[in-house]
Amino acid sequence: MADAAHARSHFGPAHYLAVWGALVLLTAATVGVAKVEMPHWAHVTVALVIATGKAGLVALFFMHLWEHGGAIRLVLVVSVLFLVLLIGLVLADNATRFQYANPPYSESWGEAPFEAVAPPMQDAPAKLEKEAEPR
Amino acid sequence: MSTEAAATPNLAHHFPNLEQQEHAARLGMWLFLATEVLLFTVLFTAYSVYRFLFPAAFAAASELAHVAIGATNTLVLITSSLTVALAIHAARQGRRKATVALLAVTIAFGAAFMVLKGVEYAHHFADGQFPGRYYRYPGLQGPGVSMYFSLYFLMTGLHGLHVLIGMGVLTWVALRAARGDFSPSYSTPVELGGLYWHLVDLIWIFLFPLFYLL
Repeated sequence: MADAAHARSHFGPAHYLAVWGALVLLTAATVGVAKVEMPHWAHVTVALVIATGKAGLVALFFMHLWEHGGAIRLVLVVSVLFLVLLIGLVLADNATRFQYANPPYSESWGEAPFEAVAPPMQDAPAKLEKEAEPR
Repeated sequence: MSTEAAATPNLAHHFPNLEQQEHAARLGMWLFLATEVLLFTVLFTAYSVYRFLFPAAFAAASELAHVAIGATNTLVLITSSLTVALAIHAARQGRRKATVALLAVTIAFGAAFMVLKGVEYAHHFADGQFPGRYYRYPGLQGPGVSMYFSLYFLMTGLHGLHVLIGMGVLTWVALRAARGDFSPSYSTPVELGGLYWHLVDLIWIFLFPLFYLL
């Protein structure tokens, strides 16, 4: 046991530099991909996959998860599990609601009421006195 | 045991040896980081809900974000993660000057991040892009737009607060390193301070695409 603890880091500056290079490349990739014509869901998926990959590199190598296992990994896995549960279930709630249970003019209200009542979304200056709809 | 305690002044009396103390400290730090992750999870959940409800508004509002500054800040934080990882490496080898220098560079990167963030905030404020009901940018109006800016300022603001706290922690660690508190057998504070800094980087890795690119 003591030997394992003494083994400490197998990673040196060269490894850290390689991880840094990968992180820079992935950052360039996520900025580049954002400019490509793709459906919206594809943009979200690609951006989240790249971000998760970068986070994985930071956690595994910079935060030494690769070499320190056991309880620490369990802590991370559990917190990620709760993250997925919370976001997933709350989104599932919103996605399966009766439309008027979501805020006014949100996506589930559909096109017609949005066009008819909502202040328009536009790039030209809109009427300033018309405030965003109070929630 | 008493001989070991005498030989290792950094060993608290309730631990049999330094290895166990280090394991306990590391696990405690990770538990704290888990609570930080959950704190931000709640905010990411709020973001997910409003992005789901107002996809067009969020897509249009993120066009107003300053991608060049955000991308530069991403590189700044990634590089600061590298320098703090190298600082831990140097501390484990007992290289005091290198440890202090690398920590100082990391803190400087943190300061650069905050300055760039300030420039960005100033641009938003000048354009009237305030959170919630104070949002009054004429170029983009519509339901959900002000929610984007509420979440943007809340999440990047809380993250910025973490950057400031991280800079404070690393300053304290650097001062201790300069004093010669650390040795190859004891460098736990450097490692734990570094873990906090990496978490700050990790959160930004998700904030950047969500607010600037999507």
